Amino acid sequence: MITAWMNTHLLSFLVFAPLVLGLILLCLPERLAPMAKLLGFLGALAVFVISLVHFLRLGGYSYVENLPWMTLVNIPVDYHLTLDGLNFWLVLLTTFLTPLTLLGTWNSLKERAGLAFALFLMLETGMLGALLAQDLFLFYLFWEAMLLPMYFLIALWGGEERRYASLKFMLYTLAGSLLWLVALLYLAGKAGSFAPALMAQTAQAFPARVQGLLFLAFALAFAIKVPLFPLHTWLPDAHTEAPTMGSVILAGVLLKLGTYGFLRFALPIFPKATLHYAQPLAILAVIAIIYGALVAMAQKDIKKLVAYSSVSHMGFVMLGLASLTVIGTQGAMLQMLNHGISTGALFLLVGMLYDRAHTRMIADFGGIASRMPIFTFFFLVVTLSSIGLPLTNGFVGEFWILNGTFTSSLPWGRVFASVASLGVLLGAVYMLWMVKRAFWGPENTGEHSGTGHLSQDLNSREIAVMVPIVVLIFWMGLHPQTFTAISERPVAELLAPLQPSAPTQLAEVAR
Amino acid sequence: MNLTPDQVSAIMALLIPGAAACLLPLAAIDKDQATQKWIRAAMFFIALFALMGCFFYVTSLWGKGAQPSFGPVRFDRLAQFATIFILITAALAVLQLWDHLHLEGWVKGETLSLLMFSVTGMILFCSSSNLMVLFLGLELLSIPLYALTGTLRQNHEALEGGVKYFITGAVASSCFLMGAVLLYGMTGTLDAAVMASIMPRLGSDPVMLIGVALLLLGFLFKVSAVPFHQWTPDVYEAAPHPISGFMSVATKGAALFALIRIFPAALLRQEGILQGKVQAALILVAVLSLILGNLTALTQTNVKRMLAYSSISHAGYLILGLVAGTSQAFIGMGFYLVSYLAMNMGAFGLLTALGLAGDRTGYDDLRGMGWKRPELGFAAILCMFSLAGIPPTGGFYGKYMIFRELVAQGHVSLAVLGVLASLVSVAYYLRVVVALFLEKPLGATAGTDKPHRVASLASGTVLVCGLLVMLIGIFPSLLSSAFAQRAVQESLNLLK
Repeated sequence: MITAWMNTHLLSFLVFAPLVLGLILLCLPERLAPMAKLLGFLGALAVFVISLVHFLRLGGYSYVENLPWMTLVNIPVDYHLTLDGLNFWLVLLTTFLTPLTLLGTWNSLKERAGLAFALFLMLETGMLGALLAQDLFLFYLFWEAMLLPMYFLIALWGGEERRYASLKFMLYTLAGSLLWLVALLYLAGKAGSFAPALMAQTAQAFPARVQGLLFLAFALAFAIKVPLFPLHTWLPDAHTEAPTMGSVILAGVLLKLGTYGFLRFALPIFPKATLHYAQPLAILAVIAIIYGALVAMAQKDIKKLVAYSSVSHMGFVMLGLASLTVIGTQGAMLQMLNHGISTGALFLLVGMLYDRAHTRMIADFGGIASRMPIFTFFFLVVTLSSIGLPLTNGFVGEFWILNGTFTSSLPWGRVFASVASLGVLLGAVYMLWMVKRAFWGPENTGEHSGTGHLSQDLNSREIAVMVPIVVLIFWMGLHPQTFTAISERPVAELLAPLQPSAPTQLAEVAR
Repeated sequence: MNLTPDQVSAIMALLIPGAAACLLPLAAIDKDQATQKWIRAAMFFIALFALMGCFFYVTSLWGKGAQPSFGPVRFDRLAQFATIFILITAALAVLQLWDHLHLEGWVKGETLSLLMFSVTGMILFCSSSNLMVLFLGLELLSIPLYALTGTLRQNHEALEGGVKYFITGAVASSCFLMGAVLLYGMTGTLDAAVMASIMPRLGSDPVMLIGVALLLLGFLFKVSAVPFHQWTPDVYEAAPHPISGFMSVATKGAALFALIRIFPAALLRQEGILQGKVQAALILVAVLSLILGNLTALTQTNVKRMLAYSSISHAGYLILGLVAGTSQAFIGMGFYLVSYLAMNMGAFGLLTALGLAGDRTGYDDLRGMGWKRPELGFAAILCMFSLAGIPPTGGFYGKYMIFRELVAQGHVSLAVLGVLASLVSVAYYLRVVVALFLEKPLGATAGTDKPHRVASLASGTVLVCGLLVMLIGIFPSLLSSAFAQRAVQESLNLLK
């Protein structure tokens, strides 16, 4: 009976199991924190295992839950969750990163760790819900529901400037999503539904100016989340101030929801406006790539460096989407996973370093390699994957994106591709330069030396966290088809109406 | 005079709190300390009992679907909905008052009596479309409130607040009366529903316009919308916390329910110059309330004053519902008011529950309190996020419904202004959360404090409010379609 229920309600189970678990943890008293942590980790692990087993067994195509939920002000809202090619791997990435992050930051939080674990699990509910939701109102609810746990993670366990960073995070994200809500209300009012398909039909009939405005409202909300230059300024603050656990999931999944939103909603609902605005989006993406890389180069704090590298990498994802070619979009899909794993892992590693040395300044280190060889090995592998070395995951994604941009019908597409490839080069520069200063060379014996505190290499728990990541890095680099096969058809279908030759093709189909 | 059962049941809801209000002063006789303790408890019990009795009576009427009327008093679904709303607010206020007055060391009988009179006035205000009855209701609800503001009459500020409220309130009431008289003079009837059929014939007579404007002023004063808001911060600050909560929720609610009743009938639905002008005036008032209320709330250092300005801004959102002017928008307003009841009574109750009496209501006084009382802190977070309109809380759906109708009616720019205003509001509501959880308590005052009285009743109300906010947020369609929709639609159909 349970298996039958599971088969029909798997998605609901995945979305709400972490929430229920989180609420249980919330009720446990402070002194039971170790038990709460264990319970949270095991629960998250169970969710991952269940999702993996079920998804692989059914190939990921047969999961839909669609029930009428309620009618608000004459517009029906459906409880509509779907697992398909576009969100399949992102959902797995979320369920995979959650237990991994919990394990990786087991001892990082000294105070109220049980509460942090509870919030983290609630965050997982928000992310999974947003990834799976097909009804825009439901998507909006989950989108906002991600905000609160993240706000509290930054505000309660953050660094010195946590109050500023958390408020900035909150206001930025809300500014985008509230304006988007107005656009959503307008569109839903005209369409009489929150279903994207109906909205797309309705939007077709709007004058171009209205379509453009609505698209911009959608784009603003998603672009803030990505974050796209020049709306990125909340990200370095949030990343730097957030505890390791928050940074990992922020980089790993939260940012992806912005690009995922573009692909899932903005593009199919407003194909014309997307074509119209692809060029400016691509320009902003290229600026983000170069600007993020240059600013990262100037950072003194390793965590901030990784945060700016995020801006640069997410710029690649946006560029791939804006190219509106199948290969570019596929590259963007892969790059989302790559970035989730590599940058998530980098934040985890920086967190491990910080737990030992209590500093993240590059200048305080030097010679880490001689103190912590295992740590250095993992850090190097992840760094190389972040740079995009061939054989690692980063290479394939970036190559496809650049390929797609180069062959796209965007005016100046070749220029964009060429400039963006400079970003790959710059990525190698800032990462390797940081590694050189912090890991190699003589041991730092200065007054504020961080290296001096590094008496212990990674323990077995931390190695256990890093091994699956390294396996994935090489797997994705050597055999990316595992991760992209499923999204091939949906992406092609999505982009079909946007191709220059589309009208003739459609006409042929109609005949 | 023979009363039919129908007539009796129409005014029963007025009689129960009214009778309790008359009974209560009898109990407030000075006795020795030991007996007085029991008398006090009995008084609070009587008040609660009357509210509960009335509540059950009205819910049974609702359940039966009866809509009795007695002359101009029309106790239809809208009135029943409003009455339930007012009764719940009053019950929460009474529970909080018990703790609050003990904190202040000032437990006297008249407070409860005044509160019950005010409740009676509000119910009357919401259950008629006759302008004279409305005026009676307005006075009956206002005059006790003036006195309630000065409850703690040992304080200079309380007296000042009461007098300020009285003077401005009296002006507003007389404006209301003048408006009613002018409209009566022009149309020959006092019933707003009948006026509706006569008005179109009179066209855009300036006297008409003045009458409507004066009438509107009386309402907007009670709603505390800009530019009739000046009294709000001072009065809220001076009054005991539960009374401030009661004023912000119940008074605003009563005035808006009354507006929902008479406006579509008499004023808004008219075509021509009058409708355009009334709507333009409402837009102006709403926009000013949103901008001024939110921006001023940002600069406050006192939680009660912040809540006062926030209540001005909420008046702005609610008036946007009137601007949209469709029955769906009114349903949204009803929904908004119910969630506002939960979140605002929770916010004011929090101050009492944490034992912050007197003028200790700055953000600094809240420091670190969240960790001391985690359950209260959690409820407070829910209330604050709901006030800010962040899903999945009740406050979000209220705003959602109103903005949705605004957009549907073509007022997209107003909706954009509304969401931007609520974005600003996030900043100051979060300050409460930050103070509760992120800051260390001030070391100096912690030692000198008197041991806190455990305000268990007030804490209970805060928890109930937090739960309510969450429940409305999770099951919004229940409230909107089962209650608000029936209340608005059945009553407005009656008037047509």
